[in-house]
Amino acid sequence: MGGRDGISGKIGIGLRRPHVAEILSTRPAIGWLEVHPENYMAPESAQGETPALTQLLALRRDYPVSLHGVGLSLGSAEGIDRRHLARLAALADRIEPVLVSEHLAWSVSEGVYLNDLLPLPYTEEALAAVARNVTMMQEALGRAVLVENPSAYLRFRHSTIPEPEFLAELVRRTGCRLLCDVNNIFVSCTNFGEDASAYIAALPPDAIGEIHLAGHFRSERRGRPLLIDDHGSTVAAEVWALYRQALARFGPVSSLVEWDKQIPPLPVLLAEAAAAERIAASMVHADAHAW
Amino acid sequence: MPTLGELQRAFRRALLEGDEAAVASTLREDGLSPGERLAVYRNNVVASLTVVLKEAFPAVCRLVDERFFDYAAHEFLRAQPPTAPCLAEYGSAFPDFLGTFPPCRHLVYLADVARLEWLMHVAAYAGAPTPLASASLRAVPPTEAPRLVLRLHPSFGFVASPWPIGRIWRANSPESPSDEAVDLDSGGAFIEVSRRDREVVFRDLPPPTFTFRAALAAGRTLEAAAGAALAKDAGFDLTQGLGDLFRDGAVVGFTIADTAS
Repeated sequence: MGGRDGISGKIGIGLRRPHVAEILSTRPAIGWLEVHPENYMAPESAQGETPALTQLLALRRDYPVSLHGVGLSLGSAEGIDRRHLARLAALADRIEPVLVSEHLAWSVSEGVYLNDLLPLPYTEEALAAVARNVTMMQEALGRAVLVENPSAYLRFRHSTIPEPEFLAELVRRTGCRLLCDVNNIFVSCTNFGEDASAYIAALPPDAIGEIHLAGHFRSERRGRPLLIDDHGSTVAAEVWALYRQALARFGPVSSLVEWDKQIPPLPVLLAEAAAAERIAASMVHADAHAW
Repeated sequence: MPTLGELQRAFRRALLEGDEAAVASTLREDGLSPGERLAVYRNNVVASLTVVLKEAFPAVCRLVDERFFDYAAHEFLRAQPPTAPCLAEYGSAFPDFLGTFPPCRHLVYLADVARLEWLMHVAAYAGAPTPLASASLRAVPPTEAPRLVLRLHPSFGFVASPWPIGRIWRANSPESPSDEAVDLDSGGAFIEVSRRDREVVFRDLPPPTFTFRAALAAGRTLEAAAGAALAKDAGFDLTQGLGDLFRDGAVVGFTIADTAS
């Protein structure tokens, strides 16, 4: 897609604290790195760089870096926290990220931050609220951002818009792009007995700027599957299959492997990235043959 | 049908206060109960914030054991949930909470150990402004020196306790090999926390030095800080006390207060 970001088609990893020192000292071949900006924002009173930011700036010299926010609460009816947005913009000025992304979710209500990506009802009211917040985010950052589809464990009775259509309409209204998390699609669709392939087919291909891959936890309630998006294992076979479908439909989109629970040694994570790379390369190859 | 704002307030109450009725009536029923579905989100919130507190307070966790820590963290995060997404800043109120939490009232030193851990956590995440040399004070006219207010490096923190909290922390730090016994009557602590290069360190200070530095860290004037130290020990040497502070790289700025206070 586009290719303006310079990482088109490349495979990255989510940078987590246990791996920072090893990546700094060994500089392995990784297409790009993605971090949660909340972990690198200086305390409001701070002068000078925090140690974490110093490390990130050092990595920035060798790797493209993407900022993947988890705390802006784009779905909050009360709007987004302007102070937090200002801190995000200040960090983006330092890092000059290749991509900036957030989630189709909310986490703040009346000033309380719940630290989870909570579900929205897909209504016209919610669409207007998210569009307002995405526009404010894009104006503060001076660029288009990507919005990621969440994993879901419940649905609201009063939702009237299917999730991929909600995202497509958000793109039309705000000019944002989409981060397609294929693991989240698989988790949500399995939890509600829906068709993950149809979900991918309903997304607007030109808007997809990034793909996420991760593991999930599988549990059951009275014989029904309940998948939990815990980012605590290797990518499931069904999710790799969806990844092929996504690449076939969206083209060579830059992709990222995330691992957040029971974080393994770096080589395990790099092996997952290499698996994604093989799939992406085979798709490009198949493409070339087709033409 | 609730508005989006009403739904989000009800959802927050369902997660933190367990009052699920208002949200449950808005959920589609397909196989799982509303309670089972909401529990997934509640578990995410509680487990992730408990991890945040555990990483900031590892010695407290070891002192009370992990199951009790999880219980205390749960009670705390329901009563005082985060108000901002930068979770490195979440937990500053946990030491005071522990100090008034009835189930651990018998652990009289626990809140002070938690205060020490919070300062270490703050030091680890503090910025790194460039320390000033003592020569930078030459520009200050002698008549204004009493009203000098020094800005200390943000990694510096100070905590005093009637209990030997430094020894208790060392015996219960993540690196400590075994449950070494600490004599609770072995004296109090006047601790300074700071960061040297990337490593957070702490040490016991002589009480007058502690009083002097803690007063400066609290934004008091040089005259007031020196007065407080001299009240502890009439032999306190202000020139040396000030020189040591600069040599430790603790001073990153200064202003002159309008009035001595």
